[in-house]
Amino acid sequence: MMAYPLADPLVVLREEFDDWAVLFHPDTGAAVGLNPVGVAIWQRLDGRHTVPGIVTELTETFDGVPGSAVEEVHAFVADLIERGFVGSAQSQPG
Amino acid sequence: MPPGAAHAQPQPEAGPRLAQFYFYLTEGCNCACRHCWLAPKFDPEATRYPTLPVAAFERVIAEALPLGLGRVKLTGGEPLMHPDIGDLLAVVRREDLALTVETNGLRLTEALADAIAGCRQPFVSVSLDGAEAGYHDKVRGVPGAFDLAVAGVRHLVEAGLKPQLILSVMRDNVGQVEPVVRLAEQLGAGSVKFNLIQPTERGVALHEQGDSLTVPELIDLGRWVEGDLAGSTELALHFDYPRAFRSLARLATRGGQGSCGILGILGVLASGQYALCGIGESVPELLFGQVGQVPLAEVWYQHPVLLALRDGLPGKLGGICAECLQKSDCLGSCIAQNYYRAKDLFAPYWFCEEADQLGLFPASRRVPVAAKG
Repeated sequence: MMAYPLADPLVVLREEFDDWAVLFHPDTGAAVGLNPVGVAIWQRLDGRHTVPGIVTELTETFDGVPGSAVEEVHAFVADLIERGFVGSAQSQPG
Repeated sequence: MPPGAAHAQPQPEAGPRLAQFYFYLTEGCNCACRHCWLAPKFDPEATRYPTLPVAAFERVIAEALPLGLGRVKLTGGEPLMHPDIGDLLAVVRREDLALTVETNGLRLTEALADAIAGCRQPFVSVSLDGAEAGYHDKVRGVPGAFDLAVAGVRHLVEAGLKPQLILSVMRDNVGQVEPVVRLAEQLGAGSVKFNLIQPTERGVALHEQGDSLTVPELIDLGRWVEGDLAGSTELALHFDYPRAFRSLARLATRGGQGSCGILGILGVLASGQYALCGIGESVPELLFGQVGQVPLAEVWYQHPVLLALRDGLPGKLGGICAECLQKSDCLGSCIAQNYYRAKDLFAPYWFCEEADQLGLFPASRRVPVAAKG
C-alpha cells in the first residue's frame, strides 16, 4: 500500500443531490458509487495525506468513526487501486 | 426426486436460463382500470373471454422446467378469476415452483390465500390506488372494489403472507401516496410499490389528457418517497422510476429493483400463445407461437426476437439509454414498453428520453460523450 495514495487525475467525481457521488473513469468506462464518507476520503487522495491522516480528518468531520477506521480506509483505498481509480505510487508527500 | 430438491438451483442443460414464466391467465378482467397497459376486456364473471386451459399451463411448465424454470408469475387480466385457479395453484405447489401473483384482490378469498401461502416463496401484490374507496373505485371502474381488495389483503396477512400494495400514481390520487403507506402498515402488508402510468394502451389517453404526472413531478415525488416517506415507515417502499433516477443509497440497499428482466423470462397469453410478455396482447410481432404446436425449447433458444435481445442488450440500446451508466443493470427499463412506442427493441425508455429533453437526466449517471466506445 502506498504511503500517500494519489487518485488518478483522469477520474471524475460526480456528486449527486444527496451527497453521494459517482466515480467515473473515462478511459475504462468504469464507475462506482461512493457514500458521503467515501467522497470525503476520495477528496483526500491527493498524494499529501496518509491513511491515518485521512482518518484523523474524518474524525473531525463525521460522528461515530469506529476504532477500526484505519483498517477500513486501507481496504477501501486498496479496492480503488484494484479498480484502477487510484494509480500513481507516492512514497513521499507530493 | 423429492419435492424441493428438483428446482433448488435449476439450470438448463445449455444456453440461457428461462428463470420465470409470466402466465397471463385471463383475457378478460373484473376491473376496468383507466390506466391499464394491457387493456383486457371487462368480464366480471370470467365467462365471455378465453382463459388458459389447465392442460396448457401444465404443458408449459413441463417444457420450461428443463430450461431452468424456478418461478411462475400468475397475472392477467385477473388471475384469480380463472375458473380453475385452484387447480393451477395445485400444479405450482406440486412442481415446487416459487410463486408470484399480481391481483386486484377482488376474488381473493380465505381459501385462495391459504392455497397461495402453501406454495414456495409466495409473493403477492395487490393493486390499491387509494386509501379510501372513492379514489380506488374510480380508478378501477368498479364500485365496491376497494372493500373487496382490502378484504383480500387481510386474508393474505391472516395466511401468514406479507403482500405488497401497488399504487399507480396519477394526478387524481397523488395525494394518496402517504395514506396508502399508512393503510399498508395497518393491514400488515410488507411493502408498497408506486408504479408510473405507462403510455401504453389505456395509459396513452391518461398521458395525452394530462391525467398522469409529468416527468418533473414524478422525479420530485420519487425523491420524496425514497428520501422522506421511506424514513417514516418500517415498510419497504419502491418507487418504480428508472435506476438512473434512484439514489445511490437506495441502489446500494435495493439494487435489484427497477430493471427489465426480459433476458430471463417469457410469457404465455390466455390464448395459449407464447409471447415476450403481456405486450403480446397488443403487438402481434411479439407472439412466438402456440403452446403445443411449437416446442418451448425452440422458442426460447431460437426465436429471432429473443436472439436479437440477447445479442443487443445492453450494447445496442439507443438514445439516452446508450449514454446511461446503468444500462447494463437497467436494460432499457421495459423493452415491451419501448417496443410498443417505437417498434424498435432497442429504443430508449420514454421516461429517460423525456427527462433528457427537459435537461433533467442526472448528469452523474451519464457517460461523457468523449468516453463512449
